[in-house]
Amino acid sequence: MSELVLKTEKLDKVYKLGGRKVRALSDVNLEVKRGDFISIMGPSGSGKTTLLNMLGCLDRPTHGKVILDGVDVTEVPEKKLYEIRRHKVGFVFQTFNLMPYLNAIENVELPMEGTKKSKDERRKRAHELLNMVGLSGREEHRPNRLSAGEQQRVAIARALANNPAVVLADEPTGNLDEKTKYEIIRLLSRLNIDQGTTVVMVTHDSHMASQTGRILFLSDGILKKKEKSGLHLEEKLVCPRCGGSIQPDFVVCPHCREEL
Amino acid sequence: MGVLTRALRNVSRRKIRVLLVVIALGFSMAIMISIPASVVANQAATEKLSENYETMIENMQEEINKTLTLIECSLSPGFGQGFRPGSMPGEELFLNETAIYDISSIEGVKDVLPFLEKTEGTMQTRETPRGTFTILVPDYTIVGVPLNSSLIDNYPVLPTDIVEGINLREGDSGVVLLSLSNTKFFGAGVGDEVNILGRYFTVIGVYETADTLGLQKLYMNIFDAQAITNLEGKISRLDVYAEDQSYVDGIVSKITDLYPEFYITTYEERLSQLDRMKETYKSMLQNAESTLSQTQSVAFQEIVIAIAATSLIVLFTMLYTVRERTKEIGILKAIGFSNWNVMSQFMLEGILMCLMAGVVGVVIGSVGAPLLSSLLLPISPFPTQRGFLLGQAVNPGTFQSQLVTTAPDLQTMLMAFGVAVLLGALGSLYPAWRASRTSPMEALRHE
Repeated sequence: MSELVLKTEKLDKVYKLGGRKVRALSDVNLEVKRGDFISIMGPSGSGKTTLLNMLGCLDRPTHGKVILDGVDVTEVPEKKLYEIRRHKVGFVFQTFNLMPYLNAIENVELPMEGTKKSKDERRKRAHELLNMVGLSGREEHRPNRLSAGEQQRVAIARALANNPAVVLADEPTGNLDEKTKYEIIRLLSRLNIDQGTTVVMVTHDSHMASQTGRILFLSDGILKKKEKSGLHLEEKLVCPRCGGSIQPDFVVCPHCREEL
Repeated sequence: MGVLTRALRNVSRRKIRVLLVVIALGFSMAIMISIPASVVANQAATEKLSENYETMIENMQEEINKTLTLIECSLSPGFGQGFRPGSMPGEELFLNETAIYDISSIEGVKDVLPFLEKTEGTMQTRETPRGTFTILVPDYTIVGVPLNSSLIDNYPVLPTDIVEGINLREGDSGVVLLSLSNTKFFGAGVGDEVNILGRYFTVIGVYETADTLGLQKLYMNIFDAQAITNLEGKISRLDVYAEDQSYVDGIVSKITDLYPEFYITTYEERLSQLDRMKETYKSMLQNAESTLSQTQSVAFQEIVIAIAATSLIVLFTMLYTVRERTKEIGILKAIGFSNWNVMSQFMLEGILMCLMAGVVGVVIGSVGAPLLSSLLLPISPFPTQRGFLLGQAVNPGTFQSQLVTTAPDLQTMLMAFGVAVLLGALGSLYPAWRASRTSPMEALRHE
């Protein structure tokens, strides 16, 4: 059995919204092994991003545990969490979130600042990563001179900078056209297969999810269904508002026109 | 890429905003630089004024004490400077030198010294709201002195501070002793010939004086002076020396009988004139000290306001910057930046802005220090007459109010940079701290 790199135990998250308690996650138990490529699907507001934030130490659960690479991060003091984020997690965002005033290589070097790596080592590593994501020769370009796909590649290279235990990707193809979506998902797959990178991806897109090794389904904060192979989803999805049948990649319910 | 380079790039990202902020901060810095420099200069000037006042009074007292037996006679009253040879006349009046013989024969008179003073200059017409006036702008004053060794060796007839050449001696004729000021006017030095009223004189020596009124005086034999001024047989004034003090009253009484038109000044009058002068200067000094204390208080308030303004400008600019870049803070934290990393970056940006402002402030402060000081500080009653500061008595009426201003020195500028760093750090401390405490998750949601 492969080593567990990420595990949650009875994870709960309750927010207070205007004096009202909203349960974003409820009793979530998740296990991710080293080298897994997992996608988490679910309609808008189902708690996908909340779960990803818990896994990436950007937020703390109300109850339960998150064990990341053998460390119970819920026990790590707030002031030390940055070290976990720096060394064990790599984030990829839907809107890329690159620093506009830094060029591609400087963006990739950024997470390595404050580590023990020398300036030369940081530069060498950033070159290797940009080469790996197919951006050799684009090192000096700032984000505004890169296409959306190229920006996401830089973001993936940045996420890998410190050899994290897990890459957490929040809708990494959400802002891309069809052709680029597949390029990015292929890049993530290749990194997963060739480098053994563990990836947890949140997506609306069933076609993107189908490229991953395992699909988890989240609805109303509850991890409902686990699939070994995500090519065909068996569960029938329903709109939480009108109960009509929906597809996982729907953003608006075709029956009640409400946003999902 | 280091934190400094990143901070520099961030500061240069919003050029117009940073430019406006830096200019505003620069003015505050300029105030912080120029005002203290002016206050220090005014303080030094007041202290010097006070020191010079005391020295001046002591010197005058000493001079007066040497003239117990001196009785001065002239046709013009002067400006209360009767104890000193050569008061500036409003109108030049001359008396006949026959008076020498009349006065010499009075009982108790030891010596009688004749002087001829004649001011030469250019007549200029000045338009004023009250009408048109023609005034004499003096170029130099010819002083004819009796070159008799029994007189020049025993009485203060000639200047004493010879800086070049030699002093006038008994029997000298066709030679002249110039002041430093005269050498500039004539463009001549020792050994040169100068044309005075159509006659050539050889410059025998050059003297220096702290006496404002003596700056333009050139000395020569009284006979030469009478000849070139066409005032043969005429003199400006007589210094009469009594055998001892007991004869003074008798001599004065007899001179008054003989020449009722004479203005006569004795030791007693010189002493009372000195007392009046003491009072005048004392009140002027008090005025200067009170204005200085007012200047210091105003300067203190202005500096406090400038410091507060600088800190607030940095504070609000950095608060706005932090708010504007909330998402960036979230990203930095998500990729592993610590609170300290985030805080130090924003603080460094604030400090960099203040350092740029420091440079602007030093430039504005160096160039505009006098203007800034005169606009922002109360006017002090410091004399424009250099002579006063050097301990020379002049008519108090000639003093003009002005502020002593000065350009800031290197030390002040370095201090300004220190203050810039400190204020940058202080002003950006809270915004940077706030940035560092931002929750990464909430920051990432910020649009």
